[in-house]
Amino acid sequence: MRIRRRDVYGEGRAARALTLNSAKRALRPGVLWGLVFGALVWSSATTYVKAFPTRASRLTLAASMRGNSGFAALFGPLRRVDTVAGYTAYKVGYTIIIIGAIWGLFIATKLLRGEEESGRWELFLSGATTRRHATLQACIGLLAGATGVWLTTVILAVPAGATKSAGIASSAMLFFVTALVSVVVMFMAVGLLMSQLATTRHDANLFGGAVIAAAYVIRMVADSDASLSWLRWASPFGWIENTHLLTGSRGVAFLPIVWFVVILVAVSYGLASARDAGASLLAGRDTGKPHTLFLGSQAGLSVRLARGAVIAWTTIFAAVGVVFGLVTVSAGRLLRASPGMNRAFGRLGAVRQGAVIYLGAVFLIVAILIAVAVAGQISSIRSEESTGHLDNLLVRPVRRSSWLLSRVVIGIVLIALAGVVAGIAAWAGSASQHAGLGLVELLEAGINVTPPAVVVLGVGVLAFAIVPRAAVMVAYGLIVWSFVVDLVAALFNGNHWLKDTSPLSHVTPAPAAAPNWESAAILVLIGLATCAIGVAIFSRRDLVSA
Amino acid sequence: MAKTTATLAELGRRADAGDDGAMYALIDVAAELGVDPDDYKTWTALASFAESRPKAKAPRRRAKAAPAIRTQGLSKSYGDTKALVSLDLEVPKTEVLGYLGPNGAGKTTTIRLLLGLIKPTAGRSEIFGIDTQRDPVAAHKHTAFVPGEVSLWPSLTGAETLHLLGRIHGEVDIAYRDELVERFDLDPSKKVRAYSKGNRQKLILIASLMTRADLLLLDEPTAGLDPLMERTFRECVGEAKERGQTVFLSSHILSEVEALCDRIAILRAGELVEVGTLEQMRHLTALQVEAQLDGTVPDLSRIPGVHGFEVHGKTVRCQVTGPMEPLLRALAKAGVHHMTSREPSLEELFLAHYGGSDAHP
Ligand SMILES: Nc1ncnc2c1ncn2[C@@H]1O[C@H](COP(=O)(O)OP(=O)(O)OP(=O)(O)O)[C@@H](O)[C@H]1O
Ligand SMILES: [Mg+2]
Repeated sequence: MRIRRRDVYGEGRAARALTLNSAKRALRPGVLWGLVFGALVWSSATTYVKAFPTRASRLTLAASMRGNSGFAALFGPLRRVDTVAGYTAYKVGYTIIIIGAIWGLFIATKLLRGEEESGRWELFLSGATTRRHATLQACIGLLAGATGVWLTTVILAVPAGATKSAGIASSAMLFFVTALVSVVVMFMAVGLLMSQLATTRHDANLFGGAVIAAAYVIRMVADSDASLSWLRWASPFGWIENTHLLTGSRGVAFLPIVWFVVILVAVSYGLASARDAGASLLAGRDTGKPHTLFLGSQAGLSVRLARGAVIAWTTIFAAVGVVFGLVTVSAGRLLRASPGMNRAFGRLGAVRQGAVIYLGAVFLIVAILIAVAVAGQISSIRSEESTGHLDNLLVRPVRRSSWLLSRVVIGIVLIALAGVVAGIAAWAGSASQHAGLGLVELLEAGINVTPPAVVVLGVGVLAFAIVPRAAVMVAYGLIVWSFVVDLVAALFNGNHWLKDTSPLSHVTPAPAAAPNWESAAILVLIGLATCAIGVAIFSRRDLVSA
Repeated sequence: MAKTTATLAELGRRADAGDDGAMYALIDVAAELGVDPDDYKTWTALASFAESRPKAKAPRRRAKAAPAIRTQGLSKSYGDTKALVSLDLEVPKTEVLGYLGPNGAGKTTTIRLLLGLIKPTAGRSEIFGIDTQRDPVAAHKHTAFVPGEVSLWPSLTGAETLHLLGRIHGEVDIAYRDELVERFDLDPSKKVRAYSKGNRQKLILIASLMTRADLLLLDEPTAGLDPLMERTFRECVGEAKERGQTVFLSSHILSEVEALCDRIAILRAGELVEVGTLEQMRHLTALQVEAQLDGTVPDLSRIPGVHGFEVHGKTVRCQVTGPMEPLLRALAKAGVHHMTSREPSLEELFLAHYGGSDAHP
């Protein structure tokens, strides 16, 4: 060790150079996302001012939305929607929060796990200090990234809020941006921890993604029913809601956020040191009797490799379905008390009572979760190739198309299973509360939200065939795009072509509205067709490693 | 290789004009006749001698339906990087071919092209007459591949991996597989992630050898193996050869290539620079001569074929290409006290081909 430490390059200088490099790699996308976030805030503020120019129109809007637990479950509690500030916080808050959380997670695993995988640090530093150094380096890099997002968003958002028509105080806007960026920081910390626990970047992202999903679902439940609002304290997203974005700016709510970050960073740093002893943390047993049930063919292998993810996601959808079924009745009661409900939902074609409307909104979240599950499959398809595992199959008598097709089939089974399980679970949950909703109705609602995921699968497979290295980004990107497109379309005066590119925008809020099987069929066809094209192209391209 | 239709006289003329392919062909002819090419002053002389012998015929391509490997103008470029430039190579059945070249020469690229993992920018390749791009699955039924960098599913155990890869290939010699596990001293109950690099390499070697495939494509197959295991590997390749399997061996371990290979192909910067047996290559490379003389050292600089000569007192060192006779005559005049000459090792051949060239840009 001592000899290696006296490196010709000088450890200090090498470390500085690498730290600078990682700071740059976090700063660039940070500034980019800052631009997006700033633009979202700006567009929301200006469209609101244009659409609701008078005090009366704003009050009508607020009345129509008040007490809507479905909206609250989706986008958080509504506060002061009759002001530009309240509307903006409600309208763009969660879009930015979700994107910020995912980006924070990804950049952290990239700078830490990715860097470690590439072995760059091992080149320069002695083993004993490598992992702690890497953690420190990543932290500094991430700090630079977070600062970049914050600064850029502030530069765009504060002037947008400060215009006379918007009238958002600069201090409130600063608080708002800080709270949003604190989500990025929290999930950077999650990424840091997962990088210590998982053995690959792919796994680290998967574990972190599960944390994001769990945190989101917990706060959805918390916002569905006033009696459950204490649950907010159990979710990082709930803590952000407790800061009362743009409407109260409660600084005290930052306490759990700060603690969360400090604890995760400290634990990660501790684990990084502990790992030096050679113990790998989530390794499990290293020997075992052979289990060859699935190992008779490449398709069987694919099933075995995807088994864990499919079981985990199915469990998640069962849990989400049951929970939302359970709170349906109380959430629906709140909703029915809302005076402007009919007007608000007339637009969506909803004609049934509160519980149904609540579930209609909630199932849209299930749609997003299914799409995320499928994007995870794209990621695992790509990682089979990038790790070189796929080579082992394709140098043997295995058709490329057969391999990719079996992965596609697994994806489709996962989607179908998710929809069916979520529907049945929601029915079981609601039936226990005597909500009076039919099994078929909710099963339909579950199936109704699956087509966007088929599109994500198709686009992901096509991207995998054409631009393998960007496939994962494209799959998740399409989901993020679905979030953002509404707001971007507003910038271009509601361009419907733009809106049509979002697969989620074609889903009706069943059971609140009748499922539109025709557009569902079109989405599924688009998804399957792109899958087929992707499979055909994949047979004709070079295999591409990481 | 030389065009097979050429007459011996033509070959002689071309060889004297510096055509390597013609020279190889004539060296083959000489071997067939049991004569030493060094006994002849010129290649033309050797050719006309061969012509006079009724037994000798112009060498013809071995009359086999399809060679194990045949590539025609096989090329691969990555942007501006030419990884492989118009490779024409034929590996007859049952041959063990050593495939050499410095880092980045294009060896792995060739093998990945043969396997259809990447697509050629030009040209084509066949395995036992099957087009590897059009019908990779059929070609793979005859092929087993060992990569230099093994990447297997970390969650499977060694036994599970062997089971899976065997089932996917189709035919497996189970008894031989178990024997290989013994000989390579592998614990198959461990998960892949718990194996050391060498053990992973052993696992993939067993997975490939157990199929008894007609063609073994080996890309630095002994990377990470200890000397004992490397010996086991050599034995296995020897057995494969005896069974009539064809072996394509890319390696940086020259002793391994020297020990195992019938022919050697040398690649540099994507281009094939040499193909032939070790004997053939040695003939084209200088012989190292060292002599201690009784008298003063004569001027050797004008003797044909002699170069790089150094004098230390009464000791002279030089390299000789072509016939030895003129040199011997000159030295004999001065009186030779002691003299050694030796053929270049593969390593020296290798270095002669790569050293000081554009091999390491
Ligand atoms: N995917 C790729 N993209 C770009 N260039 C590549 C790629 N794969 C190989 N090359 C380039 O092609 C050339 C040949 O590489 P190849 O891996 O075939 O060399 P090699 O002879 O196997 O070397 P080594 O002895 O180091 O294994 C190199 O210059 C390499 O940089
Ligand atoms: Mg190589």
